[in-house]
Amino acid sequence: MREQSHGDPPRDHLSAVPAPVDDRSAADRLLVAVGRGDEAAFRELYELVAARVYGLARQVLRDPAQAEEVAQEVLVEVWRTAARFEPAKGSATAWVFTIAHRRAVDRVRSEQAASDRVQKTASWSAQTPYDEVSGEVEERLERQQVRRCLDDLTSLQRESITLAYYGGRSYREVAQLLDVSLPTIKTRMRDGLIRLRDCLGVEVPT
Amino acid sequence: MTDADVHALSGAYVLDALTDLERAAFKRHLAGCATCAIEVAELQETAARLADGAWSVPPPALRDKVFAEVSRTRQDAPVAAKPVRPPRSRRLLTVAAAVILAAAAATGTFAVQERRLDDQRTTAAAESARVTEVLAAPDAILRTATSASGVRLTVVTSAARDEAVLTMAAERAAGTDRTYQLWMLDGSTAINAGVLPVGTTSATRLVSGAASADAFAVTIEPSTGSPVPTLPPVGQVSVA
Repeated sequence: MREQSHGDPPRDHLSAVPAPVDDRSAADRLLVAVGRGDEAAFRELYELVAARVYGLARQVLRDPAQAEEVAQEVLVEVWRTAARFEPAKGSATAWVFTIAHRRAVDRVRSEQAASDRVQKTASWSAQTPYDEVSGEVEERLERQQVRRCLDDLTSLQRESITLAYYGGRSYREVAQLLDVSLPTIKTRMRDGLIRLRDCLGVEVPT
Repeated sequence: MTDADVHALSGAYVLDALTDLERAAFKRHLAGCATCAIEVAELQETAARLADGAWSVPPPALRDKVFAEVSRTRQDAPVAAKPVRPPRSRRLLTVAAAVILAAAAATGTFAVQERRLDDQRTTAAAESARVTEVLAAPDAILRTATSASGVRLTVVTSAARDEAVLTMAAERAAGTDRTYQLWMLDGSTAINAGVLPVGTTSATRLVSGAASADAFAVTIEPSTGSPVPTLPPVGQVSVA
């Protein structure tokens, strides 16, 4: 076999890439097993990610009942599509939370489209001002690396990223809320994330 | 929207802050841009870390509902395992080839200068395909480093293919009559991996025989490049 003759199978290379979070390799292993139909592995994975999937949906949707629905959809989607996960392309946690964020934002957007968009957005923003989103998030980020790295950003970078990610706002809405031009906002989102990436030491085996 | 405009949307894209239309435009751009694909993968991984800050205890009923639904839900087959890889259509290949051709034409006085245009096209297309293959190799590893001098070096190596793809981006040009040069370091030997044209701040190079490399580096050299590095590296990524 190839592995025997070379003694250096690809897996060895992958494990050499430092894991950005402690649960990364555990989650990777579990999600691969889930992809093979392992329900016990799914249960373990659930314990690892459910609080963040639900928390993210709740943060974005601001409604516990809807958050629960979305979290359920997301977790079942993780089970259904797990075979598509390729550990060589990124972490299992990123894969799961990318689905979770996307689904939560989809729900917010479809709600907005369903009613009078302007009115809805206005009342929504009155209900959850930036300070509140930011305050809650800050509490939870306490003692976490992400928090330290967010602190290193400029306030405009941090607010743009926070409003989009935790608030589920489009970059146009973020530009309006912060009273900054569209090109500036998209640049701040990108360079803010780049700075965050370098601070967190994120590496992606492609 | 110009290409630069689309490219700048990578941050908003991974934050799900684009409209459906913009999202589609960005995905089209992504399909023809290998460097962007790496950036997006990294930023996606970064954005997902923000979920750590949204932790909240789910209602206990969620677990039961999810497990019950899972036990009666059929899993999708892994056939669609490569949905992110764009179909290698003629148009995409042409776009990629054009990008590489532009890079090759700009980079160089080296080999390309005396070749016919047709040869250049063939080489460029072949190189583009090889870059894509390295990036997609099952054993590919991405490493990246940003130096204090503002040079970001990204290296994707595939031991099985014995190849590496180097991408560098500097914050500013190397200076008057100076330029950036890329190196593959193998023990105490530095092998030239490409001289950037004066004034250029970014480049992508495919390097063969990369399996034995210990590191990749960038130095600032006279405009025509040097046979060996004359100054300490302004950027370096260790792959040993």
